[in-house]
Amino acid sequence: MSNDLRRLTELDRLIHEPARLLILTILASVASADFLFLQRETGLTKGNLSAHLSKLEEAGYVKIEKTFKGKLPLTVCKLTASGQKALTQYRQQLQDFMDKTA
Amino acid sequence: MENNLSDVKQRVKRYWYTDGIGELIGGGMFVLLGIYFALQEVLGQNSTVGGILQASFALLMIGGAFISRRLVNSLKTRLTYPRTGYVEYQVNERGMRWRRILAMVLAFVISALTIVFVRLFQFFDSVVAVTGLIVALILVVLRAKSSGLARFYVLGAVSLVLGLGLSLSGLPNGYSLGLFYGLMGVCFFISGGLTLRGYLKENPLPAVTDNEQ
Repeated sequence: MSNDLRRLTELDRLIHEPARLLILTILASVASADFLFLQRETGLTKGNLSAHLSKLEEAGYVKIEKTFKGKLPLTVCKLTASGQKALTQYRQQLQDFMDKTA
Repeated sequence: MENNLSDVKQRVKRYWYTDGIGELIGGGMFVLLGIYFALQEVLGQNSTVGGILQASFALLMIGGAFISRRLVNSLKTRLTYPRTGYVEYQVNERGMRWRRILAMVLAFVISALTIVFVRLFQFFDSVVAVTGLIVALILVVLRAKSSGLARFYVLGAVSLVLGLGLSLSGLPNGYSLGLFYGLMGVCFFISGGLTLRGYLKENPLPAVTDNEQ
């Protein structure tokens, strides 16, 4: 196996999980989104989404803030700069693999 | 997971239009513009009130845009965010600069086209026709294409037909322009109203409005 293909094993496994990849992709296309929006868009349960967000927050990929919009309490999630960088790198690695195996 | 990743960006963009609130408020602005142009025709340019109206056009537009923005935000906070969640969109500074330049170029082209049309085709009201064309272009390019929502194509087509139809009606310029904006406002109301009704029906307020993790 060539070194190029072996690099697939270097993929960020935190991002490689489909639900987390979807969460990061959604957050990459907005400035921020709240918990309810992410839950509806991903189709995950509250507990599941919460667990994935916690992992992403621990890794420093996502910033979570509790705030208010008028009187409405919101849990707002934002992609951090390192999250954006990790996602871009992940996509590039995957794209390289696809190009070389096509 | 049914989501197609490449479709995510468009889905997120489309979310802004999912409740029809923007169209309802936009419709209100259009109706007000319609009343403004019709009033100008009724009062005449030589009357004091007509003159004041004409002079305050820019102020009315800026004020209207400001109030509309606040109204949309307020309604979304009450109706949309508790039901389907809150999203803050990215503001692309470079994109905004290009949009401003494009708007200026567009304004220049509209003015030039209007002058050319007035001289070439005196049998029809070119101002309304060009207005219909511009509104249609804005709806198709800035709304329909980016969101992928069919109702904006329909509204664009209505604008084009209405603009052309009224340009041939023989009505005085102020009335035809007033009628154009008024009728487009009604179309926006219908489109926004139906969308909002469907949205509220599909998305009842959650029993527990807990947004916490």
